Amino acid sequence: MNSLTMLYEGRNLISEKPVVVIDIGRAYTKCGFAGESAPRCIIPSEFLCKSTGASKKVFDYETRDQLYQNFVEFGHILFFKYLLVTPKDRKVVIVESLLNPSLERDTLAQVLFSYYELSSVCMVPSHMVSLYTLAVPTALVLDIGYKEAVLIPVVENTPVLHAYQALALAGEAVELNLRKLLESQCKEEEQFYLKAKPLPNSTVEDIKVRGCFVTKLDRAQMIQASVKEPSVSAPTPPPDLPYPLGGDRSITIPGTSRELAYEVLFELDNDLMSIATMILDAILKCPLDTRVSLAENILLIGGTSMALGLKSRLQQELLDLLVTPQYIKKLALKKFCFHNPPAKENYVAWLGGAIMGATNSIVKRSVTREDYSKVPKIPDWADLSFNCNDGVKRG
Amino acid sequence: MAFLMYGDPKVKYLCSCGSMKPISRIYFCRHCMKIKCGFCVSHEVDLHYCSNCLENLPSTEARLKKNRCGYCFDCPSCQISLNTRAVSQAVPNPDDPSKMLSKKSYYLVCAFCRWTSREASIPDQNVANGGWPEIDCPNSKRVAELVDHYQEISLQEKDEEERKKKYQVRPSYFHYAEKYGLSAALAKKRMGGTPQRETRTQQSALVPAVASEEVEELSDSVFIEQLELNKVTTIKQRLASPEIQPTVVSQLYPLHKSLLVKRSLRCRDCEHNVSKPEFNPSSTKFKIQLSAFYHVPDVKFLTCEPVFIGKRSELIITVCNPTQHQSSFKMHPFELNLGAKGSGDAEESAPGLKLCLPECARDAQFKINGTIKLPTTEFQLLPRDDTAEFDDSNKGPTFNDDPKVVVWRRGNKIALRMAVSPDADAEGVLSIGFVIEYSYVNTMTTLEKKEPQKVKLKTHILLRPGPIFKSSQ
Amino acid sequence: MENSIKIHQGAVVCTECDLKGDITIGKNTVVHPKAQIIAEAGPIIIGENNLIEEQAAIVNKFPASQESTGNATVMIIGNNNVFEVDCHSEALKIGDQNVLESKCLVGRKVELTNGCIVGAHCRLVSEECLPENTVIYGDNCSRRQQADRPPPQTLQIDFLTKVLPNYHHLYKPNLKD
Repeated sequence: MNSLTMLYEGRNLISEKPVVVIDIGRAYTKCGFAGESAPRCIIPSEFLCKSTGASKKVFDYETRDQLYQNFVEFGHILFFKYLLVTPKDRKVVIVESLLNPSLERDTLAQVLFSYYELSSVCMVPSHMVSLYTLAVPTALVLDIGYKEAVLIPVVENTPVLHAYQALALAGEAVELNLRKLLESQCKEEEQFYLKAKPLPNSTVEDIKVRGCFVTKLDRAQMIQASVKEPSVSAPTPPPDLPYPLGGDRSITIPGTSRELAYEVLFELDNDLMSIATMILDAILKCPLDTRVSLAENILLIGGTSMALGLKSRLQQELLDLLVTPQYIKKLALKKFCFHNPPAKENYVAWLGGAIMGATNSIVKRSVTREDYSKVPKIPDWADLSFNCNDGVKRG
Repeated sequence: MAFLMYGDPKVKYLCSCGSMKPISRIYFCRHCMKIKCGFCVSHEVDLHYCSNCLENLPSTEARLKKNRCGYCFDCPSCQISLNTRAVSQAVPNPDDPSKMLSKKSYYLVCAFCRWTSREASIPDQNVANGGWPEIDCPNSKRVAELVDHYQEISLQEKDEEERKKKYQVRPSYFHYAEKYGLSAALAKKRMGGTPQRETRTQQSALVPAVASEEVEELSDSVFIEQLELNKVTTIKQRLASPEIQPTVVSQLYPLHKSLLVKRSLRCRDCEHNVSKPEFNPSSTKFKIQLSAFYHVPDVKFLTCEPVFIGKRSELIITVCNPTQHQSSFKMHPFELNLGAKGSGDAEESAPGLKLCLPECARDAQFKINGTIKLPTTEFQLLPRDDTAEFDDSNKGPTFNDDPKVVVWRRGNKIALRMAVSPDADAEGVLSIGFVIEYSYVNTMTTLEKKEPQKVKLKTHILLRPGPIFKSSQ
Repeated sequence: MENSIKIHQGAVVCTECDLKGDITIGKNTVVHPKAQIIAEAGPIIIGENNLIEEQAAIVNKFPASQESTGNATVMIIGNNNVFEVDCHSEALKIGDQNVLESKCLVGRKVELTNGCIVGAHCRLVSEECLPENTVIYGDNCSRRQQADRPPPQTLQIDFLTKVLPNYHHLYKPNLKD
């Protein structure tokens, strides 16, 4: 078998220019070509700022102009370092969250059309397009990313927007919780060091991914009970983890921190909300006839949902919450089923966009450069000039 | 020259898009006679090549191979190029078992982190180049099925729309009846009946995904076993191969090396190339290189006295003529109101496509907080002559230079003395500027004008001599 | 500080290297000129088949806080180690077949077992015992575990043993086996 032919993959004719699919997330960006089964690269959404020399996040901006400049710099990296194609006259599919600020969408469209001179841009909602990877028309899609967890149920291939749920309980919240736990639970001399020189974000992210996990429901409940009542004993924590920090020193990650870092996603906060209640509240807002099929078709996407033990804990929490007084009278569900998409969770949305980009459906749904030059606006569900039902195209 | 690349450059030129850049970062478009910078030219991918083996790949082949080199590998643990090492083994000769043949077998090793292909359980190869087994992406088949399925649905959609739009024209057979004298019914029969509707081929038998109630539980060994950090992959190692994303170090597999590109730059207004690299990946020369350094007079600082508020300091700058023609230049005061947002002629017809540099970036660079007394005379500069340093005889035209203004003159360079003084409320670094109007000989021959033309061009220059000190008294 | 240098038969120690204190050098070890072996805070015992290149420094000195108050500590270095150019080692205990690459710095409290590789320009000053076959590399001293040890540099040592005496004066071995 010729090893070189194994590299070839994709459904595009050689003469056609393949469609570019980009998913710019808050922490990581996935980009690649339509029709392939995985993105070419998953890179952090950062670039090196020319004036200061430090790395800067794409979504770290104060004015629209700064965001424009950020997108231009980041687009350079994407097109000329990873995708290696000329952006001019290309078709692009952008996978984005429906709850993205309009400013970001508009600025991105402006950058893509006026600076990079693409021929057409199609912006697809990430929750709906993730179902393309499953070929299922109805599912409850929960995206646990970095900044926030967003849940939008999709019924018959249409996002049910009024039932959306969004909480700032995602990767960043876990990292902040981990920092707090380390500062309070480490050994004395290490605590002093941590307060004097806080760990860089990349180190905390590394500890979170490699060392932490989501513990089981019964253990979590025992730990919570032991905090409230000192008489109840907590279960034995997992072993500590020595973690070298550069060549200077190493800190020991206490076992309790490893176990409890992800608890912030499941603890019921003051409003009694957590990742699990998001799912149940969303189901409650959906029509009665769809509830069972939604509960039996749950799809988890996003990088944070790849944490060890998260899926099983979520299922346990859901079943546990069903019998609480909050939900027992309202929901008559018996079981929750989770999907296994043909991709790792952190690029499922990208894959959906890639599958869609390989079909003809984007031809009808994209905004071409000629249209944009006449009316510099991207159709937006929040903008009434596009949304009115009387058949008159405004704007 | 390092001052041009690192830190904040002291002399900046105004580009036609509104940004201020040092002379090393700007280009000069000879057709539209304007200065362009990296931001306002359009970039195009010209050439793909591998940085390790310097092999040139045409773009179609690069696309087939997914922009990766076929022969070079990257270490999965530190992303540095992998080297091939040979190991000789004594193997019995198949013909004559008593004699030992030394057979060479090859394995990959990283010079930086000492990862070897043996750690990924890849057997040593007999061939130095290639022959390394590839990993299949586990989901490619399913994804291909999904793409086919959705492509069919989208084609169906398209058909339905066209059917709705198209007005169903009933085929008329009257002309047949007229021609051959047949009745309409017979004519229809002759034509073979009404055209059949296109039947859709059978839908692909795609099995939609089924959600499962059983979810993998967290194993109890997590609570008991000591986690060995060296055996778990880091995020960067995982994301280097997106399809597999191995969690354990023993699953790390060598990655094919990513290709690099050479870019060619094109002026957006006149669509001519401003910079085009050579085809050979190992050559650093250019086919077309219209750097401003070769066309626009180069202004550099020689000395500047420390700047105090309320006092005048002396500033000496050098201006150098890089062209092959004698040129003259004159200095004018800086015009603050530049008015033009983005490229001078706004595209009124396509308001959405106007390229704009963010306003904040421009305004911050234009803060002038001092005055500079400019010489009013026009200065002539000799053309650039590379042989001048070897020529001992001091032949050449002499110029009547005012010794108070001109410090020295050497070939195509001249040093000028000027007085600067900061504003009363100025703080931080002194920024002053002027406009240089220089003559440029356009050697491009076009259809209309066969002779080289002389034109006068203006460029704004921003100078940053140094920090402003409060008065020492 | 008195110099007490004991050199085994077969060791090649150039006179231009800087030796101070109580030092024992094992058989077949090669010490290049301009290497520094300083035994201030106690004796240094170097094993067999080691390769100590130019400007390498093996120093046994008290840490700055305990100037000459502590007890004498013995520094023991095993066999088949390689100390590349300009590396600086203060580690008290070094095992066998380790490699300290160029310009690296190993602190006093580190203990190298067998087969460890400290990469070029890595600064390793934490207090720990490196497990076997650890590789330390990169800006941030990232680590990984290797499958097997680095091979001993016997070819290089043989070559140097033949060539160095032609160009340098050597110390005479004073210990018989």
